Amino acid sequence: MKRKFAAAAGFAVAVSLSLAACSGGGDASTEPSGPVTLSVSGWALDTTPEFQDLADAFTAQNPDITVEVKGYDATEYNTLLTADLAAGSGPDIITQKEVKFVPTFVEGGQLLDVSDVQLPDGISGASSYQVDGKSYAVPYRNDSWVLFYNKNLFEQAGVDQPDGTWTWKDYNDAADKLNAGLAGAGSAAKAAYLHRWQSTVQGFANAQSGGDILAGDYSYMQPFYERALSMQSSGDQVDYNTSAANKLTYQGEFGKQNAAMMPMGTWFVATLIAQQASGDADDFEWGIAPIPQNSASTTGLDKTPVTFGDPTGFGINANIDQSKVAAAKKFLAFAAGEEGAQVLAKIGITPALLSDSVVETYFAVDGAPTDDLSKFAYSTHEVLPENPTSNKAAAIQGILNDMHSAIMSGSVSPADGLKEAQARVASEVGVG
Amino acid sequence: MSGTTQTQSDLQTLALVAAEKPRGLRKLSGPSGDPGPKTSTEKTDPRRRIGRIALYAALTIFAIGLLTPFAWMVLSSLKSANEVFAVPIRWLPEAWVWQNYVDIWAKSDILTWIRNTLFLAVVVTFLQVLTGSFAAYGFARMRFRGRDALFLLYIGTIAVPWQSYMIPQFILLSNFKVSNTLWAIILLQAFGAFGVFLMKQFYETIPEELSEAARLDGLSEYAIWRKIMLPLSIPALASLTLLTFVNTWNDYLGPLIYLRNPDLWTIQLGLKSFVSNLYDTNYALLFAGLTISVIPIAIIFLLGQKYFVEGLATSGLKG
Amino acid sequence: MAITAADAPTRVVTPKPAPPRRRSRLKMRNTLIGWSFILPNFLGFGLLTLVPIVVLFYMSFTNWNIFGTANWVGLANFQRLMGDGSFRVSVLNTLYYSALHIPLTIAVSLGLALLLNNKIRGVAFFRTAAFFPYITSIVAIAVVWNLLFSPEFGPINEFLRFIGIANPPGWLTSPDWAMIAVVIVGTWRDMGYYMILFLAGLQTVPRELHEAARVDGAGIWQRFVNVTLPCLRPTMFFVTVMLTINSFKIFDLILVMTEGGPGQSTLVLSQFIYRKGFMENQFGYASAAAVALFFMCIVVTVLQFLWNKKRSI
Repeated sequence: MKRKFAAAAGFAVAVSLSLAACSGGGDASTEPSGPVTLSVSGWALDTTPEFQDLADAFTAQNPDITVEVKGYDATEYNTLLTADLAAGSGPDIITQKEVKFVPTFVEGGQLLDVSDVQLPDGISGASSYQVDGKSYAVPYRNDSWVLFYNKNLFEQAGVDQPDGTWTWKDYNDAADKLNAGLAGAGSAAKAAYLHRWQSTVQGFANAQSGGDILAGDYSYMQPFYERALSMQSSGDQVDYNTSAANKLTYQGEFGKQNAAMMPMGTWFVATLIAQQASGDADDFEWGIAPIPQNSASTTGLDKTPVTFGDPTGFGINANIDQSKVAAAKKFLAFAAGEEGAQVLAKIGITPALLSDSVVETYFAVDGAPTDDLSKFAYSTHEVLPENPTSNKAAAIQGILNDMHSAIMSGSVSPADGLKEAQARVASEVGVG
Repeated sequence: MSGTTQTQSDLQTLALVAAEKPRGLRKLSGPSGDPGPKTSTEKTDPRRRIGRIALYAALTIFAIGLLTPFAWMVLSSLKSANEVFAVPIRWLPEAWVWQNYVDIWAKSDILTWIRNTLFLAVVVTFLQVLTGSFAAYGFARMRFRGRDALFLLYIGTIAVPWQSYMIPQFILLSNFKVSNTLWAIILLQAFGAFGVFLMKQFYETIPEELSEAARLDGLSEYAIWRKIMLPLSIPALASLTLLTFVNTWNDYLGPLIYLRNPDLWTIQLGLKSFVSNLYDTNYALLFAGLTISVIPIAIIFLLGQKYFVEGLATSGLKG
Repeated sequence: MAITAADAPTRVVTPKPAPPRRRSRLKMRNTLIGWSFILPNFLGFGLLTLVPIVVLFYMSFTNWNIFGTANWVGLANFQRLMGDGSFRVSVLNTLYYSALHIPLTIAVSLGLALLLNNKIRGVAFFRTAAFFPYITSIVAIAVVWNLLFSPEFGPINEFLRFIGIANPPGWLTSPDWAMIAVVIVGTWRDMGYYMILFLAGLQTVPRELHEAARVDGAGIWQRFVNVTLPCLRPTMFFVTVMLTINSFKIFDLILVMTEGGPGQSTLVLSQFIYRKGFMENQFGYASAAAVALFFMCIVVTVLQFLWNKKRSI
């Protein structure tokens, strides 16, 4: 009783299924001769210039190949792309916005095997696109989580600024001091802001205590939750419920100096620079520090701190016209390589390839912090993927997200919440 | 009968809310803001007067409760991006940022969006009201095998969440080559079961004797629908028109999926796309746009609500 | 297409005994006319709504993930639903929401419609104001209501403390109260919408009946029960059915108010379907849940349909 979906739709719409869904890849034609036009999916093009910049730089090098960026809505990107692919009108190059959808695309036969595209040494995030030993996309961008801090507020409170040696305990202690110091100085700012995402607790727990969400045992998250809860009960940070009720944005909390420290991804660097320039954020001195560590063994400037982040990558539509494949692979190699990385660093985007010269370009952006700790935090770290490449990841993350809101809102204790989530993962996903 | 047969308003004008008042109906009071003729006792009786004052006080408090979130939205549209959400909640902007409105007008294609949305809302509403009220007559007044089952099927489809069959529908419309055209939204919205159901329920309140008499006068079923049912169901047509118009105007997910070309964007889709960037949305700007987009609806509503006038439907009885 | 004057009067309502052949011809004719009314709408409806829904039903028996093959898996999806704890939670939450939201909304919107059906000064303004919640940005609604519900500083809890309730509820932050808070906001938002429908329905109540009842000495309440309500029955049926379906399908309000939290305390069925479909790409499984929702609605609707039929005979 196996049927292609097209056939299933066909029984209902026998009328006019022109099978656009299968039209691509018809005649395997010859060499890439003459001009080729590639389409690549992107989102929020006005505020996300990376796609157009990469396209332009690539075409400047390869005048025969035109790259057209197809804009999608940023928040509904996956839904729209899915619809387009299902209807056979997807782009040639499919930008992978979220790693958790990669297995679906691969299993559904939507992505071409791109294992033969050469990746430069030292690139991070490539493993996120590997399924059964084959690569289905190349990473070009890889943000990681760091600690943003407001130098002015630290000075005002008379507290020592981060120096790269912090564990989470040091972070909590500093927050307590900051809170007292800021209150003493008559400031209404809080010591820290923790955004509502599950990553802000679970991402660190997974990366720094060697946790694997696919294993089905989450007890390693407990100390991380207890620390986060203690910070909100001591008033060091706005509590989860207040943040949710007021739909607080992390840009507003840090940019308007409502919090002195904030764990956040490096994408916020570019936003903060832009908002300080436009006046949407206050004008103050800030820097980034390595994210606090779980164990003292990875702290200090001579060590490599552990953090997490998911790459963004380019894959090739399996239904692409054969004559375009070579050109598309060329684009992938370009975007993931040194030249692509330079293009991205210039506009404040964190490339997957962080060579010294790329880091230099990145910090040359007007408004970027200039201190050495920021450069260290930005360039030296071990970035572990947030989402494992597995078709179970999305379901498990959904359950862990429910658990996150239950624990952080105070409606269940960390121990009970974890136990409950573990049971749900076992019964609903069949893991553990 | 004469009373009703005079009221044959053109269907087309009925479909638009700004339709003329049907002529020939008696007892039709003026614009509803007008309190209407008062008897002299009403003016003099002090207890009634106090009652009235209490009623207005209650209504006013009630209206404030209803309009507060809207007011917050309008005030927030005059704030800067990072100021909208804060603890504790702020009502008044630190500085009044009129720039949001300037930006929306000058930098976005809001006029194109409004034109598209208006076109869609008018066409969809027209088709929905026309085909819905037509089909409703078949369900309400004609008896044939399978009628109730078919009707239940209509209602049943309302019960299926759109998101769950959105992809098959998208594939279907893509194969018809209508996705990424305004036609997609028209086809999607114009033939819903809602209008059929609403009008059918309303027709059932109209006395059967009226139609019987009309049949004796030699009117066909189609003529009965047009000359008797339609004019008598103006309040229902008005509510169907209003609700369809508003729903089409405010629809986001449908246009999001189908309208990819920025020239085709509707107001809701255009606004969200204009203000959203990678990780966040500038809500101050969004609220400025939403404030603008509410104005046409409010006007349509103010115009349309006067068709809810007592005595309109029943006046035919005595005609 | 038009039928002749001679045929029309002998239609169903006053069935005169006619020879069998004539009757079957009449039946045929009625069927044709009936269909001719329905057809223009049905063409669009059947092709654009019914067909995709039939596909959806088919998909609920497959393991479709949108791409590639959809393998027939029989009743496996439905069996899995039976054992799925989240599904059970979402069904119970949906029923809980509906059980509170439906009667509350009917009462409030009908009351509002009765009030605003009077000739009072500024009625146009008040009617428009009542409709505003429905057209106000849902984000603005969520923020302002969250403020009102704030456990420590919110006006609602301050009032509750003022009247002597020492431990007022935590509303949206409490698993026990979050759904009730959502019901309140849902009712507040929807009452204008249903008020419109009731207002239209109220215009069908013959004034003469009211006057006759008043002459007989019936009070306001008696007139409401004995005149208004019976005349409103078709509208009431419509509102109840729509309200039931819309409550079963509640989605956007939950998403923006609580996202299903805290924990799973406000997880509803459409959200479950959305998560399984678009977040986890298990479209076959999501389709099965949609079919389950469909049957829940249908059962309730058929009950209402039968009850309504019985009452109107």
